[in-house]
Amino acid sequence: MTTTLRRNDYTLSDEQDQLVAMLRSLFSEKSPISVVRDAEPLGFDAQLWATVRDNGLLTISVPAEAGGDGGGLIELVLTGIEIGRTAAPVPLLDHVVALRTLARLKDEGVELAEGSWESALAGETILSLAPISSWELGAELVPSGALAKSVLAFKDGSVILMTREGLAEQAPNEGCTPVAWWDPTDASVSVTTLLSGDQAAELWELTRREWRIATAASLVGILAMAGEIARAYSVERQAFGVRIAQFQAISHDLVDMHMDELTSRNMTLKAAWLTEHEPDFRPELAAMAMAQATRSVLRSTAKAVHVHGGMGITLEADISLFYRKAAAWALVGGGTRRDLEEISKAVDRRAIERTRWHETHELAKR
Amino acid sequence: MDFSEVELTAEQQAFEKELRDLLDTNWTPDYAHISLDHDRAPDAVRTGMVERGWIHPHFAPDAGGAGLGEIEQQIISSLFEEFYMASPGGNDLLIPTLDKHGSEWLKANVLPGLRTGELSTCLGYSEPDSGSDMAAAKTRAVRDGDMWTINGQKMWTTGAHHADYVFLLARTGPIEEKHRTLTMFLVPMNLPGVQATPIWILGGGRTNVTFYTDVEVSDDYRIGGVNDGWSVMSTPLATEHGAGVVTEGVTPVNGSMGQSFSRTFAKLIDGAIDWAASRKDAEGRSRLEDPLVRMALAEAMLDLEMCWNAAGELGKPMAAEALATNADRLADMAAPEGILDFGVDGKIAAGIIASQRLHSPGTAIYGGTTEIYRNNLARRLGLPRPY
Ligand SMILES: Cc1cc2nc3c(=O)[nH]c(=O)nc-3n(C[C@H](O)[C@H](O)[C@H](O)COP(=O)(O)OP(=O)(O)OC[C@H]3O[C@@H](n4cnc5c(N)ncnc54)[C@H](O)[C@@H]3O)c2cc1C
Repeated sequence: MTTTLRRNDYTLSDEQDQLVAMLRSLFSEKSPISVVRDAEPLGFDAQLWATVRDNGLLTISVPAEAGGDGGGLIELVLTGIEIGRTAAPVPLLDHVVALRTLARLKDEGVELAEGSWESALAGETILSLAPISSWELGAELVPSGALAKSVLAFKDGSVILMTREGLAEQAPNEGCTPVAWWDPTDASVSVTTLLSGDQAAELWELTRREWRIATAASLVGILAMAGEIARAYSVERQAFGVRIAQFQAISHDLVDMHMDELTSRNMTLKAAWLTEHEPDFRPELAAMAMAQATRSVLRSTAKAVHVHGGMGITLEADISLFYRKAAAWALVGGGTRRDLEEISKAVDRRAIERTRWHETHELAKR
Repeated sequence: MDFSEVELTAEQQAFEKELRDLLDTNWTPDYAHISLDHDRAPDAVRTGMVERGWIHPHFAPDAGGAGLGEIEQQIISSLFEEFYMASPGGNDLLIPTLDKHGSEWLKANVLPGLRTGELSTCLGYSEPDSGSDMAAAKTRAVRDGDMWTINGQKMWTTGAHHADYVFLLARTGPIEEKHRTLTMFLVPMNLPGVQATPIWILGGGRTNVTFYTDVEVSDDYRIGGVNDGWSVMSTPLATEHGAGVVTEGVTPVNGSMGQSFSRTFAKLIDGAIDWAASRKDAEGRSRLEDPLVRMALAEAMLDLEMCWNAAGELGKPMAAEALATNADRLADMAAPEGILDFGVDGKIAAGIIASQRLHSPGTAIYGGTTEIYRNNLARRLGLPRPY
């Protein structure tokens, strides 16, 4: 046996820092909570969509050969975090993940319908994907499915593109996220098979991973904002003559929320970097980032609501909005059980390494 | 951002081989040595490392080290992990403090041995009536000219039975003045009146009660000013807590103890995988294929990855709690064998799960309790002190 070491460097480059600063000011200016509320119940703001498009955010993480700006998953993660911080009502993450997969297909020589790539790249049509399609038969709920013209899915060993004429109707939900039922057997849906065989499975696996990473990033943003809101309230609200942050039952929860945020953030960045640079190394990391962000955002937004006392559960409180968004955004991909199923494949990989360890080492008798 | 594999240079590979040979020759991996902040590497390994300047490899060769870098330090951690070996025990926490505050005499006579690791130290902060509230220490040092007389009792003096010196927190003025009347000393453990008796803890580790009865020590052993003890000890304490750990290289971001708890946690998972690989269900299928077992292991692996991503001070409470939760989870997964001890027929991976379940509550206490950590972390978030 020999040792292998890896770097553990989470720092952002200067350009990435600048990107974050740009995104922070863009989304806080253009997606204040009033915009988010006005966009409900659909969860979409056409003007904000035009703004993100005009600011080049749809093409940032699309390969240069396909007409994008050649940025990668880290840039997508940084964008996702800012989207989450403001609960921005735009389907940017689903759209960009779908664009990245279509760009790979184009690169493989797959023909897309005339003009469809260009209009998607320009944000004139919206794309999405069906993250749970490989598990489901028939109809399934699709994130951004009420906005999308076309949806990527994986059925019977093939990557398919479902396209419909009119828009699908939103399935109403408390988070006011634009999910909708899509059914490949529906008469109003036309289905094109884009890729089959091992290559298709591999491509879908990568697509799923990128979607998990992008979605986890948006949850990191929700975690960050929920933490900020709760901390601000905790030093303002008084009870028994002291600020409520002086009660450890409150401050320790705030610390735990902070731990959830930072670990979710680091795991998402690490998964993004490795998926991009070494996709074969620890392929479970994307599912881990998503599972961590999901469980964190569920429990931490609940704590953030609780810190507000009764005010927390009122519909007009900002924190209750983030609580609603948390579950809707986190669970549209099928929930942590599916992430854990993916993670459990790492058990087999570790079991092989253990066998190698036992072949190399004797063990003291006990 | 960078998570790529490090290409080891020829020298680094040779370093790894030399260390591997040292460990191979002197040690058989032992599942009972998987955490163990309360044990240390065997003497042959320690001596071999002292001779090579590897206890503090990052120090310059003329300062007791070997002039090696972060990579070699990580190779050491990684091999110790592979060999299930307790730490060689270093004096990292104290050397910077002695450099800064130590008397000339200590610097000339003790510091060199601490630097090579030939001499070792233990920490004498806690007492029967004060743990979290360290500034309530009662152990008293009274001055008479150039000599001090020390009387009192310390609790939980881990490693005192191996150590050459104790870094002792003593009261040198009215106790009402709390942290303003504390002074630090480096007291030789072999002085008359110093005595260590064992305390056995859950999981089989040993720590000690230490008694100080009319211990006479010269002023040369004082560290820092009289009544300056609180500020003198703040640096090693913060280091122990993992504050300010910023690495951009290969060192895990999880600070201090959280790192060793995470390594222990990794071994717990490995032990559970060994168990699953060795057991079959009623249909003759490997337990590794059992969906319930896989789910429990996947959750444990997720928690471990979370610990490795918990930076600095967050690392300790997170890893301590994850270790405890997962020791329960895996004992439950492997029930009923999960409760069996080392050396028992049918034990799991030599009893690793049961012993770590026993050990884990301590990780949330020693080196500062998880509540104290959360108090500190809350302050760093800008929150007011508890009322
Ligand atoms: C195995 C082991 C090894 C150790 N090794 C060493 C060593 O080498 N040297 C050394 O000096 N000490 C050592 N310690 C002592 C350790 O640092 C203390 O046990 C620890 O700081 C807690 O102190 P205590 O045990 O007196 O508990 P207490 O301080 O009495 O705490 C009891 C409980 O009250 C809680 N509590 C206390 N204060 C607060 C607060 N302000 N806010 C919220 N909750 C609070 C604690 O979190 C804990 O749950 C060791 C302890 C153990 C168990």
